[in-house]
Amino acid sequence: MSRNWVQAIPSPEAYWINRVLYDTQHKPAEMARFDADPAAYCRDMPLTEAAKAHLAGPDIGQLYLAGANPYLLRAHCLHLRIPEADYLGALRAVAEDPAGG
Amino acid sequence: MAEIVGVFAASHTPVMLNFPGLIAEGDLAEVQAGFAELGRRIAACRAQAIVVISDDHMHNFFLDNLPAFAIGAAEGYETPIEAWLKADKRVLPGDPVLGAYLVGEAYEAGFDPALSLNLTLDHGTLTPLELAGVDRTTPIVPVLVNCVQPPLPTMRRCLELGGFLGRALRVYTGVDRVAVLATGGLSHDVGTPRMGLVNEAFDRGFLNHLGGGDAAALLDFATRQVNEAGNGAEEVRMWLTAHGIAGPGGLDVIYYKGLPDWYAGIGVAQWRLET
Repeated sequence: MSRNWVQAIPSPEAYWINRVLYDTQHKPAEMARFDADPAAYCRDMPLTEAAKAHLAGPDIGQLYLAGANPYLLRAHCLHLRIPEADYLGALRAVAEDPAGG
Repeated sequence: MAEIVGVFAASHTPVMLNFPGLIAEGDLAEVQAGFAELGRRIAACRAQAIVVISDDHMHNFFLDNLPAFAIGAAEGYETPIEAWLKADKRVLPGDPVLGAYLVGEAYEAGFDPALSLNLTLDHGTLTPLELAGVDRTTPIVPVLVNCVQPPLPTMRRCLELGGFLGRALRVYTGVDRVAVLATGGLSHDVGTPRMGLVNEAFDRGFLNHLGGGDAAALLDFATRQVNEAGNGAEEVRMWLTAHGIAGPGGLDVIYYKGLPDWYAGIGVAQWRLET
């Protein structure tokens, strides 16, 4: 069966991933700092090294699987001007089944 | 006491405003005609206030504090919050007295919505108002339902909230005529591997259930099938809330079509109200 959400309740790690996505979308100074050096922005966050790398990449599929809110992740990718085909391709690459589930 | 003079619902998506031409010319003309008809019907209601039921797409609310329901009681609402949305920046007039009344009555009735006197509304509220050309001077009361970040309120609770809102509005003495516009859905995915898929079977089944008189079957369908229709389809909660306000008088579907190039099943509808 398909499911709409990766996590029924956000994990602590998902909170901090989403904290980055939310703050950079809503606070211009945070966005500027992130844009200047994504890895440096994430360095002191209470995140695993893998999650920091996924944010800095960005690795869209892995962020989705880690519980990034899909709406925040969408807005983040639009800000980064990631081509739509690449964005959709990254998400589809982590689908549980080829039909898109 | 107030008369509920119209209960409506319409889908919303930023693509409607930002990239309308992604769909075929004929489809665009049809969907625009559907929203124009929605606007005509809302205008004909001559409402003194419109309760707009929508969701906040992680702008006003975040994981620090994530209400299942929130009601605005401000004098005005800046919109849109998204800098990238192709819509005029403006302030939607609010009805703070009606908003505060609904919050107070909700507590008395066993519902606990959050209260906000400072919401900046997003495309979810603005897009249908914009496309339908709703009079910009009619005050609104935003009712926000969390559909974008689990845990989500149950489908049943949303229908029940609508029942409460309908009862409260009908005994409100601050205005004579009030309309309701719910926005969201139908099937779609945002930011998932299924993005771009729509589920017309879900959409048509859901609309059929709204038109029928079996609330249990409606709730069962929405609850069991929503995972087959996408995370954006969680927004049918707004339609359920509107259904709770309107009652089981039936539904007039003004427009429906699955539009994958707009990433959504797009519906526009009006409930038939028992007089």
